[in-house]
Amino acid sequence: MATEPRVPLPRAESGGNPARPLNGHDGIGLATVPRVACPYVAPDTIAEPPVLRLRARPLRLALVGNPNVGKSVIFGRLTGSYATVSNYPGTTVGITRGRALIGAEVCDVLDTPGVNALAGVLSEDEEITRRIIAGGEADLVVQVADARNLRRALMLTWQIAELGKPMILVLNMIDEARTHGIVIDRAALAAELGVPVIETVAVEGRGMKELREALTQPDAPVVRAEPGKDHIRWAHDLAVRHRRQRRRSVSRLQEWLNQAVRRPATGLPILALVLYVTYLFVGVFGAQTLVALLEGWLFGAVINPLVVAAAGHIPWGLARDFIAGDYGLVTMGLTYALAIVLPVVATFFLIFGFLEDSGYIPRLAIFSDRLFRAMGLNGKAVLPMVLGLGCDTMATMTTRILGTPKERLIAILLLALGVPCSAQLATIMGILGGISFAALLTLFAVVLLQMVAVGFLAARVLPGDRSEFILELPPIRLPRFQNVWTKTLLRVRWYLGEAVPLFLAGTALLFVLDRVGALAWLADASRPIVSGWLGLPSATAEVFIMGFLRRDYGAAGLFDLSHRGLLTGVQAVVALTVMTLFVPCVANFLMIVRERGPKIAFAILVFVTVIAVATGTVLNHGLGFFHLSF
Amino acid sequence: MALGSSICRFDETRPLSSLDPGDGGVVVRVLRDRVERAERLAALGVTPGARIRVLQTFPGIVFQCDETELAIERGVGRSILVDVTGGEGGGMELAPSA
Repeated sequence: MATEPRVPLPRAESGGNPARPLNGHDGIGLATVPRVACPYVAPDTIAEPPVLRLRARPLRLALVGNPNVGKSVIFGRLTGSYATVSNYPGTTVGITRGRALIGAEVCDVLDTPGVNALAGVLSEDEEITRRIIAGGEADLVVQVADARNLRRALMLTWQIAELGKPMILVLNMIDEARTHGIVIDRAALAAELGVPVIETVAVEGRGMKELREALTQPDAPVVRAEPGKDHIRWAHDLAVRHRRQRRRSVSRLQEWLNQAVRRPATGLPILALVLYVTYLFVGVFGAQTLVALLEGWLFGAVINPLVVAAAGHIPWGLARDFIAGDYGLVTMGLTYALAIVLPVVATFFLIFGFLEDSGYIPRLAIFSDRLFRAMGLNGKAVLPMVLGLGCDTMATMTTRILGTPKERLIAILLLALGVPCSAQLATIMGILGGISFAALLTLFAVVLLQMVAVGFLAARVLPGDRSEFILELPPIRLPRFQNVWTKTLLRVRWYLGEAVPLFLAGTALLFVLDRVGALAWLADASRPIVSGWLGLPSATAEVFIMGFLRRDYGAAGLFDLSHRGLLTGVQAVVALTVMTLFVPCVANFLMIVRERGPKIAFAILVFVTVIAVATGTVLNHGLGFFHLSF
Repeated sequence: MALGSSICRFDETRPLSSLDPGDGGVVVRVLRDRVERAERLAALGVTPGARIRVLQTFPGIVFQCDETELAIERGVGRSILVDVTGGEGGGMELAPSA
């Protein structure tokens, strides 16, 4: 790094008291600094001159870069906290904040969503990132680049320079660039740009030491861009000068897989295989084997009998029932959350994380583009839709990657309407897998048809346009077990933190409703619909109420009903179809309010409920008419 | 890099949507009838001078631009004009007029 020329720059901190850089080169002795002035200086670091700076507040770094270049990995390496990492553009939506100890200084680190441009026509996320850089929210930009795509990264470099921010350029995934035969003359590039250029393989932690060192340098300059030149040509010329293409050494298997998954002849069988393996792992191993173990044995034969026995000592009947009764916190709430839903959620997250990191999911967009176009979307919408299978609430946020307001609205509507979340999906598989494969197919066919029909109509009724399909495909990679595992654990923990309290609260609510007789009243009131139209036992009414708290909670209720032999095959299919199409859970609803406002959220709520009941009714009578049963 | 149509040596500019799998060349121009589209393509690296290679055309077009793999619909492919003779030699030289 010694070769870099240092250029004086306008200080990032403006207004108030500009903090002075402090180091040997400036000729300002450390002795002039009162030690108390900087709370972050540990006594033993005083001996190392170049790492000290005096600031009114911590230095703020923003990690900026094209999508899918590894910003979140570097964020994790710097701050020690995990931001979700996947292998497709758009994993990070919104800003993640963290703290890092760099040299002797505590820094605020911002992980921003990937951007392809910071000037011109911008997406929602690009606008957010631009505001962070342009506004005073970041002092220093660390631009993370995929070393294979130097030219694209440099176009962004220019735009960061235009915003007047000092920066450091990180060429990440330098190992992959090398296997692709790409060699970058880092020193020459750094000299020409006038800023430090660091090479890293962030997932392995390589180059992080150099990055930290560069961050402790007192003055990161602003890139010297030539005025009057257009950024495309500037980036192009720089890339031509400093990038060499040598022989590629990409593994045969990787190249073959990359081709196979996107070509219809091989890609569709592979898709079927992926779905089947997912079904085996989640629907059979998770929803049947593990659930049997946990619900049947752990809770059914050990915990619940113990709790019931222990509760028997409570003299007050109400409290006894509250804990261990029909709507008991343990016997119902915890059993549902931990024994029925947890195993399926965990197995799903594991396989889902694997698929996310492999780069497979975006390739589905190639096959689905035409279908989505009929629904007023484009192939890109496959990302939020598939993510919805993990959690509809998160996926609702991911709709930001879509181009137009109309697309976002349609995607949010379809997510709320038909995409079952992981927990729900798993209970569906658990119940219907135990009945027949035809039952499972019927449900998915009905839900899918319904989504296509609604999407088709929405595309024609709603004002606005769809955007054109342009999607970057991330490289196919063998996922790192460590990342998949960390991500799964994190998501399971998130599930436990979010779902268990809601399950308990829901159980408590049901308990109260049951005691005051509201449950019986509701079951009565909704009997014409639930029993008459849908042909379901009236006990299903309360399951639908549970479904609004969380869809999986409702699905777990159905699971319970079907386990107790209260549902016939047809009833199970109808009930689950209605539940799948039914209202989004509270969290998803609130997210829709946040993203699109209360008016639209309520409209979606009403619409989805009507569709769900109507579809269930038609399905019930249709199956009856043709004397079909499962 | 095997270039299917680099046998013919005369200057030939064709829209990307008309190329076959395996064909490649250098982007000469991106039509700006829709500025937003042109800017998005530019941000993804599809600019004059960029070297592209078509990987597949059905069910959608997939092509490689530098090291970026992009999937697009046909309409987008029509706006990308490619010089298919610019095969050999100048890996990343800018086309004379853009």
